[in-house]
Amino acid sequence: MFKQISMKKIYLIFITIAFFGCKNTSEDNGKLKVVTTTSMITDLVKNIGGDLVEIEGLMGAGVDPHLYKASEGDVSKFYNADVIFYNGLHLEGKLVEVLEKMEGQQKTTVALGEFLDKKELIGSTYFTSNYDPHVWFNIQFFKQFAEKVTAVLSEKAPKHKAAFEENNTVFQEQLSQLELEVRSIIATLPEEKRVLVTAHDAFNYFGKEYGFNVVGLQGISTATEAGVQDVQKLSDFIIENKVKAIFIESSVPRRTIEALQQAVLSKDHEVIIGGSLYSDALGDAGSVEGTYIGMFTYNVNTIVNALR
Amino acid sequence: MNNPQIEIQLIAAVVAIACAIPGVFLVLRKMALISDAISHAILPGIVIGFFITQDLNSPILILLAALTGVITVVLVEIIQKTKLVKEDTAIGLVFPALFSIGVILIAKNANDVHLDVDAVLLGELAFAPFDRLLISGMDMGPKSLWVMGVILIMTLALLVMFFKELKVSTFDTGLSSALGFSPIILHYGLMSVSSITVVGAFDAVGAILVVALMIAPAATAYLLTSDLKKMLGLSIGIGVFAAIAGYWLAHILDTSISGSMTTVLGLVFLLVYLFAPSKGLLSVLYRQKQQRIEVSLITFLLHLTNHSEENERHINHLNEHINWQKVRSKNVLNLALKNNMITIENKVVSLTNKGQEFTDLAIEYIITNRDENIEHMKDDFFLFRG
Repeated sequence: MFKQISMKKIYLIFITIAFFGCKNTSEDNGKLKVVTTTSMITDLVKNIGGDLVEIEGLMGAGVDPHLYKASEGDVSKFYNADVIFYNGLHLEGKLVEVLEKMEGQQKTTVALGEFLDKKELIGSTYFTSNYDPHVWFNIQFFKQFAEKVTAVLSEKAPKHKAAFEENNTVFQEQLSQLELEVRSIIATLPEEKRVLVTAHDAFNYFGKEYGFNVVGLQGISTATEAGVQDVQKLSDFIIENKVKAIFIESSVPRRTIEALQQAVLSKDHEVIIGGSLYSDALGDAGSVEGTYIGMFTYNVNTIVNALR
Repeated sequence: MNNPQIEIQLIAAVVAIACAIPGVFLVLRKMALISDAISHAILPGIVIGFFITQDLNSPILILLAALTGVITVVLVEIIQKTKLVKEDTAIGLVFPALFSIGVILIAKNANDVHLDVDAVLLGELAFAPFDRLLISGMDMGPKSLWVMGVILIMTLALLVMFFKELKVSTFDTGLSSALGFSPIILHYGLMSVSSITVVGAFDAVGAILVVALMIAPAATAYLLTSDLKKMLGLSIGIGVFAAIAGYWLAHILDTSISGSMTTVLGLVFLLVYLFAPSKGLLSVLYRQKQQRIEVSLITFLLHLTNHSEENERHINHLNEHINWQKVRSKNVLNLALKNNMITIENKVVSLTNKGQEFTDLAIEYIITNRDENIEHMKDDFFLFRG
């Protein structure tokens, strides 16, 4: 008796849920549907595609792409997408594998990082076959990203080809401007003071391109924890090189870098936390740091002001 | 609904059924923890299998992992047989050791393996529809649906073939040996099936959800029925319900699918635990209250039999004499009246024939130490329960 009633109820709930689920939320407006992973790439595609394409960014502000977890809504985003742009070079963890598999299923997935000249990339010290994926911190690489995105969008939506190319020209010009600005700000900082200590190794390309000695506490993947030895070694390094400031990152917990500060202070030396840098994600959408250019300028200003 | 949404629910439902079946037997054999142990301990098997085949969906990998699962069970039994530690301790000793070996293997060879502990413990159901089985260019559907479908058919076939044997050996090991089917072979058979299911579901839904789908539906069904067939049916129903409802919960909240399914499983168990008709918390509490008042009734009736003098049986005297609060004595009196066990004349209580008979029987049972018979006696005498 009880079982019958409960089964009926279960079926009822079942059917109700199924009906609720059936409403189709995505409407088709004829625009090219583009899905992007990191907020840097989302901003890039917005600059090139503008209103001519529909952009869905998966990872918002402050999301660590190494540890990104898919939600139910992402399934439909992937399924409905015409083009998916992602960083690649193993930045997005397990997602990279999935996207590589999708390539074979009439979906255009573009790993922007894979199109860069591998000779210019920094090989990882831990993984010989892998490269450091934080390539967007070299503006030249980001310009190449923009070229690739323009080419792919033009191929997928040929009627907007001219508009995409015009947007690209404007964006390339802005990026060149940015690079000049960045170099002139950095030039005000004496060379021996260009030491950047952060929570993890996201700034290697930045350091290589703009003359900083970059030291990270955690290694490339944010999933690994810093060991006690790492903290001690790094604190000695800070004291030896008279580093004035160390930096937190928006997508990495500040705990580890505070531990480093404590280690330095306990040896009777001063070091301040110079501010929070954007590493694996941009700032909140709508703010200045929510764009690639704003983020880059903010980072450089923060670094230079704290180290001066 | 679009294609991947349907496919995710289909995969989840198939996994739920495939997990519910071995789950019922594990719960009945009080070995629920072993599924958690297996789900962790198979990691070295998977890693070694992956080194050999370089393919996460290879059948060799499933076989090796299942083998590690059986090794886990064997090790647990060896440690347990020393009698130095109990079974749960033995399980707790074996699986962290094996799991750690797997973690070390991954860590030492991290550059070649796209296999991290995170993905192992919380698989990504959201991505399952995008990993498809292609046979000479033809799209045959999601790979994990095929893997789990085969495992499910195998499990169902084994269940039908060995249902009687499983049933007997689960409830009565002695009888099972006497009838000639070895409990040991069935035990390892069940463990192998559990291992294979865990391994198959592992890449699609992750080990945590597998454990949840094995144990929670069976544990819930156990509260609702004591019939093995009904328990199997209910477990499957609850598992599938939680899988589908969990999916839509994830849809509404736009969050992790595996996480939502596990949450629904927990909620279903909680509801059943509270409201199940005979084993639920509320009905147990209600029965305890009923028991208390019925015990009071018997005490009261005994008092009446022992005292023939009227002043002892006066209604106002009852409170002070048996030391009950007003409400309680009123409840007891009402119950006795409703069941025609007493009459009240001029505020003096006397036993009826039925009441006398009931009390005599109760005394008899208590004296001869057959207290359990009182429960049956209540069924015969009571028109209304306490």
